[in-house]
Amino acid sequence: MKIGLFFAIMAGRLVAFASRVSGRKGSSLPGVIAGKIYYRCLRDLAGQVREGIILVTGTNGKTTTNNMIAGILEKARFKVVANFEGANMVSGVTTSFIKKAGLFGKIDCDYAVIEVDEASVPRVMKELKPEVIVITNFFRDQLDRYWEIEKIVGVIRDSLNKYGYATLVLNADDPLVAQFGQITRLPAVFYGIGRHEQTTDTNTRIREAKFCPFCGAALAYDFFHYGQLGNYRCTGCSFKRPEPGVEAMGTAVSDRITCRIVYANGPEVPLTMQTMGIYNLYNALAAFATGLHLGIDTGIILNGLNSYQPVTGRMEKFVHQGKQVFLILVKNPTGFNEGLSALFLNREKKDVFIAINDNDADGKDVSWLWDVDFEIVGNGHESFRRFICTGRRGEEMAVRLKYAGVPRDKIAVNPDLKQAVRKVLEGGNGQSYLFSTYTALWEVHGILKTMVAGGIKHD
Amino acid sequence: MIKICHLYPDLLNLYGDRGNIIAFQQRCRWRNIPVEVHEVGIGDVLYFDHFDFLFLGGGSDREQNLIVADLMQRRNELKEAIEKGLVLLAICGGYQLLGKYYLTREGENIPGLGILDFYTRAGDRRLVGNVAVETNLGGETVILTGFENHSGQTYLGSIQPLGKVRSGNGNNGEDGWEGARYKNVFCSYLHGPLLPKNARLTDHLIFLVLKRRNRQELLKPLDNTFEDRACRVMLGRMGLV
Repeated sequence: MKIGLFFAIMAGRLVAFASRVSGRKGSSLPGVIAGKIYYRCLRDLAGQVREGIILVTGTNGKTTTNNMIAGILEKARFKVVANFEGANMVSGVTTSFIKKAGLFGKIDCDYAVIEVDEASVPRVMKELKPEVIVITNFFRDQLDRYWEIEKIVGVIRDSLNKYGYATLVLNADDPLVAQFGQITRLPAVFYGIGRHEQTTDTNTRIREAKFCPFCGAALAYDFFHYGQLGNYRCTGCSFKRPEPGVEAMGTAVSDRITCRIVYANGPEVPLTMQTMGIYNLYNALAAFATGLHLGIDTGIILNGLNSYQPVTGRMEKFVHQGKQVFLILVKNPTGFNEGLSALFLNREKKDVFIAINDNDADGKDVSWLWDVDFEIVGNGHESFRRFICTGRRGEEMAVRLKYAGVPRDKIAVNPDLKQAVRKVLEGGNGQSYLFSTYTALWEVHGILKTMVAGGIKHD
Repeated sequence: MIKICHLYPDLLNLYGDRGNIIAFQQRCRWRNIPVEVHEVGIGDVLYFDHFDFLFLGGGSDREQNLIVADLMQRRNELKEAIEKGLVLLAICGGYQLLGKYYLTREGENIPGLGILDFYTRAGDRRLVGNVAVETNLGGETVILTGFENHSGQTYLGSIQPLGKVRSGNGNNGEDGWEGARYKNVFCSYLHGPLLPKNARLTDHLIFLVLKRRNRQELLKPLDNTFEDRACRVMLGRMGLV
């Protein structure tokens, strides 16, 4: 028994308890405290994981992918530690281990499934040795918080090459991710989505990766799913979308997603997901590929994916007096665009709520709102009753909607979150969509829970 | 027909830059002034004389290097157009490019277009945060608000600043100036969507465009309630209202 670890865990737990009592979520503070008391805290705790550590990183879909993998492993009767709350920097990762540790620093755990913020990968990799590293995608995030994508890619590459162990699970459709099969010496398995009814031949929204990461020539695309994700090949060298070992074929998207998953060494299997947004399919494929790699039976994997419940703000569904209400966390243009596309999947009349904060965790710079294609709501504004803008930068959001072509009288600014939520739930028919940046999310979620009946339970 | 030229939109597109194009375009449309946007990329044919308004945004270092070579070949035509009164907005990287040179931390001197009299050198710290700048537009004092995020520090020679820093860093965090101004050229570190919120600046640019065409009467007043509120929130936070 290490005395340092003992005190670190005790202090961490006290903080966790205290912050729960005071009503905060407390998802990273215990780790901060524990790490201060005993710097090897995370290393000692993670070293006890019996089967292996799975690390999930990338811009979008980390939390969902992480939770799906954890769900699959639990269905396979493994004991799992995961950072479910999306607390994905070193302190958050430490906290999730502390919560599972006995007071004497013992952890009874087969697998740890850890989502890690892109910029924190090097620091986390110093402390724990993952068996599998999943990279979901790279999109432009708020740039005052993160660096340019090339820099992120370089930092993760260097950290993986220094480490030189682990299997990579990579998104074949994202050239920025797929390149890791070549720029690291690690073995890789790829997942991807084949052409389907909603793929497009051109994409004006593409902003990253127009050029080959190896030779700089333009990339040519057969089709796009969204952003730079699609079937690409370099016009100058041999770089192209790798053949996916796990691929979704015949995908159909409505208010749910159906497809067939084709994979090496086995018969294809059907997948149905009760969720919207093609990005959720990517998350499921990443989890499927990880499960296969760990030798888990496909029946159990599908079982795990089917029982997946969206976590707070990941298209979480509520019902309020017969009206369907969706809560969607937005962090960057790509994620917001995907969320907006859900508004056009049916003909229901909609009320929209958008909470934009500019605290540290949201990104202090709200310029990214101008990279979101609100023009699609402006052009299709007949199907919307009203837009309620709120949060510390609600006024800025109103300006964005006005310039996107939403008529002035459909836009309202209300800085009071509670009133804003109440407004957007008004009227019995149709649907409500609530978009929120990170620091407003928990408050909005809390308000929603007290106001509606039939909210989906999680935790 | 007012013609907007968006230079290198696929390369210079950091931080919601296109908000500036959207704002300029919409404020023309709302006044029933016909407007069109031309996107011009590397190697495309470009006659500056054909355009009323040119926008040059910011990009990452790699992207900026790609365009310098292209822009160098157009340097003389651009300089001539600027002297003749072309209305131009240049932000961040686009701003730096118009100057004499950029001095890197390693002491390397990267030549700029040398059209405007200022230079930039790599700073020790990144200047990031909300900014308020007091400027004068057509005789009226206006406070612009925005966000800056730059490591280059710019020092003006015999050229006017865009305005005086009321809060934030501006050109270099030292001399209290923000941006640069020459004839109808406006340069600023207030990146990304500068024009949407700062409707008076947008209208001033549109006014300058119309004036060159002797059609000033088309500049009708618009309702700026949302824009003004968005500015006021930030001015309030910076302790300026």
